Amino acid sequence: MSNDTRRRLGRIVVIVARVALAAIFLFAAYAKMKPQPGMPWTPGSVRTSLSMFAIGVDSYEMLPPWAVSPFAHFLPPFELFLGLWLLSGYGMRFSGLVSTALICAFILAMYSAYRRGLTISCGCFGQGAQIGIMELIRDGLLFLPLALIVTIGGFVTKRNRTGSTLPQSSASVSHAD
Amino acid sequence: MYRFLLVWVFALVASFSASMTAGAQPPTGPAQSSAAPLTSGAKSATPVNPGTSTAKPIARPAQVLGAPVKTYGSSSAPITMEVFTDYECPTCKRLFEETLRPMISDYVAAGKVYLVHHDFPLPMHKYGYEAARWLNASARVGQFQNVEAALYDHQESWAADGDIGKYVAGAMSPTEFKKVETQMRGCGLGAPAAVKSASFALGSQSGSGDACAVDSYIEADRALGNQIPVTGTPTYVISYKGHRLPAGSGVVSWPILKQFFDSLLSQ
Repeated sequence: MSNDTRRRLGRIVVIVARVALAAIFLFAAYAKMKPQPGMPWTPGSVRTSLSMFAIGVDSYEMLPPWAVSPFAHFLPPFELFLGLWLLSGYGMRFSGLVSTALICAFILAMYSAYRRGLTISCGCFGQGAQIGIMELIRDGLLFLPLALIVTIGGFVTKRNRTGSTLPQSSASVSHAD
Repeated sequence: MYRFLLVWVFALVASFSASMTAGAQPPTGPAQSSAAPLTSGAKSATPVNPGTSTAKPIARPAQVLGAPVKTYGSSSAPITMEVFTDYECPTCKRLFEETLRPMISDYVAAGKVYLVHHDFPLPMHKYGYEAARWLNASARVGQFQNVEAALYDHQESWAADGDIGKYVAGAMSPTEFKKVETQMRGCGLGAPAAVKSASFALGSQSGSGDACAVDSYIEADRALGNQIPVTGTPTYVISYKGHRLPAGSGVVSWPILKQFFDSLLSQ
């Protein structure tokens, strides 16, 4: 396989990982913000869903009571923002780093709850599956590598771009001299 | 390398879709409308078709008495909260003491919330089933609330020695306790503690010929819980104006739950 083909394939893998990660965050945000059964899409019903998500956050018993509600009202909109940021491809190494940090935090929270024997819903995509080995494997072996691919891909792309622009800029500097 | 990536992406998609399916599952089987609260038509916790339980045929109550009323508040409240608990479960005790108690004296008393108790004794708890029997027997004579409080208040004590009757007796007058004891006939009360606990752990599935009058109510609650499905205790299901919301589990603090109720009520 030539270097060119390898680079092209690498680029495709990064794009696929970035779009998949964006889709995961967008779906996670949607699942947490979507109105409860029988309620229309209104700011009030979204607030109700975020309050319901706060119940899930509280059941982890990790945050002080005063922080639960602000965190629960911040996280889903942030996931929405992160999903859109990843989709845009702008500042990919930073969006990748933020995604990696967020997924690591999720894994730590779930592992902590699992170790403490809490039988609670993961809350990752709204109310659903209970925290267990499968959820930890999903986040640790599937979501985290995606975020790492995006982060590494972002840094490599930046390095390649910087590498290809450096001679030009040095040329222009010498020209100016 | 790329082949490995392909397998990994496939695994990702499969796992993601599996997790989505789990999250999107309706909380009940097709037999029950997802819009109906679990206790619809059984607001006073009347057993819902005990025959649907996976257990062997359940002994019918020995005498015709009212079904145990295991509720707090008015059934016309806009919010219904149904809690599946095991009285020996420490987390259930925490939920009751830290969340449900303030809720009962606040939102239930104000007619905003209707609280329904369902029994879901777990096999891992030695006296959980027996406690549920005592509670149902007490509920049939109108002593549910006192006995529930007593069971949680003294959980550590009776969970250690299995002497639940002592705390049930302390929660009511001797005359009422006599009625409760009558309800408990056939529940293996005379048996030695070890035999009792084994029999209770198996419930009415033991096939030992125990005709415990209240087991049908416990099994009906368990069958209801299995529909959700309840995988641990406590598990709670909140319904608002006939719409059932996804089930939650674990302990939630009262201020957070109150905030959610306020948000629901403002809709």
